[in-house]
Amino acid sequence: MRVRSSSLAKCNRTFSWVSRRLRKGLPVAAAALLLAPVIVLAQTQIYDAKTRTWVDYDSKKARQYYARNKQSPEAFRRQIVTFRTAEPPGTIIIDGNQHFLYFVQPGGQAIRYGIGVGRDGFGWAGIVRVGRTAEWPVWTPPAEMVARDANAAKWAAGMPGGPENPLGARALYLYAGDQDTIYRIHGTAEPWTIGLDVSSGCIRLNNDDVTDLHSRVQIGAKVIVLMQGAALYKGI
Amino acid sequence: MRDGAGCGVFVVLLSVLGAGTPVLADDLKIAMPNWPSGQATAFILKVAIEKEFKQPALVQEMGTLNAFAGLEKGSVDIHPEVWQPNLTDVIEKFVTEKGVVVLAKHTVPAWQGICATPAAAEKGITDITDLSDPDKTSLLDTDGDGKGEMWIGAPTWSSTGIERVRANSYGYAKTMTLVEAEEEVAMAGIDAAVATGQPVVFACYAPHFVFDLHKIVRLEEQPHDAAKWSLASATDPLWIKKSSASTAWDTATFRIAYSTALASKHPKIAAFLEKVDLTPEEATAMSYALEVERQAPLGYAKAWVERNAARIDGWAKP
Repeated sequence: MRVRSSSLAKCNRTFSWVSRRLRKGLPVAAAALLLAPVIVLAQTQIYDAKTRTWVDYDSKKARQYYARNKQSPEAFRRQIVTFRTAEPPGTIIIDGNQHFLYFVQPGGQAIRYGIGVGRDGFGWAGIVRVGRTAEWPVWTPPAEMVARDANAAKWAAGMPGGPENPLGARALYLYAGDQDTIYRIHGTAEPWTIGLDVSSGCIRLNNDDVTDLHSRVQIGAKVIVLMQGAALYKGI
Repeated sequence: MRDGAGCGVFVVLLSVLGAGTPVLADDLKIAMPNWPSGQATAFILKVAIEKEFKQPALVQEMGTLNAFAGLEKGSVDIHPEVWQPNLTDVIEKFVTEKGVVVLAKHTVPAWQGICATPAAAEKGITDITDLSDPDKTSLLDTDGDGKGEMWIGAPTWSSTGIERVRANSYGYAKTMTLVEAEEEVAMAGIDAAVATGQPVVFACYAPHFVFDLHKIVRLEEQPHDAAKWSLASATDPLWIKKSSASTAWDTATFRIAYSTALASKHPKIAAFLEKVDLTPEEATAMSYALEVERQAPLGYAKAWVERNAARIDGWAKP
């Protein structure tokens, strides 16, 4: 797998403390609040059972929803789904378009987790592996972020793991061969961002989910990153 | 579909064969492509040849163009699965003109074209001409630019370039973004699309395990018309622009190829290769066993050879 250096830098530098805009026009699978079917629309939408309409699910609405329900909409909650694949159990498949991470299980099933992705996604597709993992990982902001963000500058030497740490409760470090790609699957201090394209880089799960995934995954597990919008795809 | 061009890395399967396995000068070298039926056949030939002729054989992964170059140079003896018409240009050069490669007579019928997930078919995408209808292809848009996206093959496959030619000739290159990626990534994408009911179209071929995993629909198109296919030589950097192909692929086949030198050096093995009569059903089963059941190629091959012992003995008889 080849990874563009610009993509690497992008993922590493875009950790942020706030959610930003949705990627314009990016279709994603809508999240169902109740039992509504998943559909494709120009941005994340969820089904409002009261008004019986699909409504945009942006950062503001996500915060409101989370404040009311203390959890993400149903489609983004951890669940077992039917998933027929040739990939072996233990494989991770990341579908950034639909904001799902699949952990393949035996018997044509997978555990599906809701994810938040970077505003520009990964910017690549391909096959990597889980090189190592960490519990309550230290986060070190990149130099350029330290230079422009006083909040990040406080942690130039590394922010200890904890509930406010942007990497959340666990991190899975993705490697190409023996090389760290700088991409991570990690938790978040902003659980309402699950289901959104936010400015923070890499792939984020809520802390319960990343802890669950961490407990199941094996070092060396195959990770397939699907094409997230072909315009972003530059090859592997 | 395979017929990987380029991808010049000569990877010895140390994990399969055992690190440190010495490569002896008189070992037969079998080129292994990067698709599952070809991988399984490579190992079946290895195991069968070693059993019948006590001749050590080494399986090495490489792209098809490198394999043909190796067949000419003597560094490769056998290619298990050469697709036609995909490699017409290469076959013309190495088989017809130079006479350094022999195509075994037995062919396995195959198919290639464009497929759709059930959701795409339900939304009315059932014919290749639908891919030129912006109202329909907008359903396949995954990046918000108004055009649909479709996987057309792995970067190393020569069929991928031909699918680009077809998209230009049919006109859907204007309404679809053509994406190249490794097959594993593309197939995982199909799995995810089917799991969530997303409409997707993609280049596909049979025999292939995807037809066993999902209810995949083959898009209709006009039957192959040789007069409407004009492919420039792939050695020309502008061959895609200079080519046209506005009907379905010709009926595809694949077969074993071996070097002319092998026929001289090991005529009994060459005669054996001529008798190998695999079927499309067997190729599908191989694909499913390796990709879906995750069987190791060597172990699968050993079991296959054991199950088909009498048949293989027959192939080896003069």
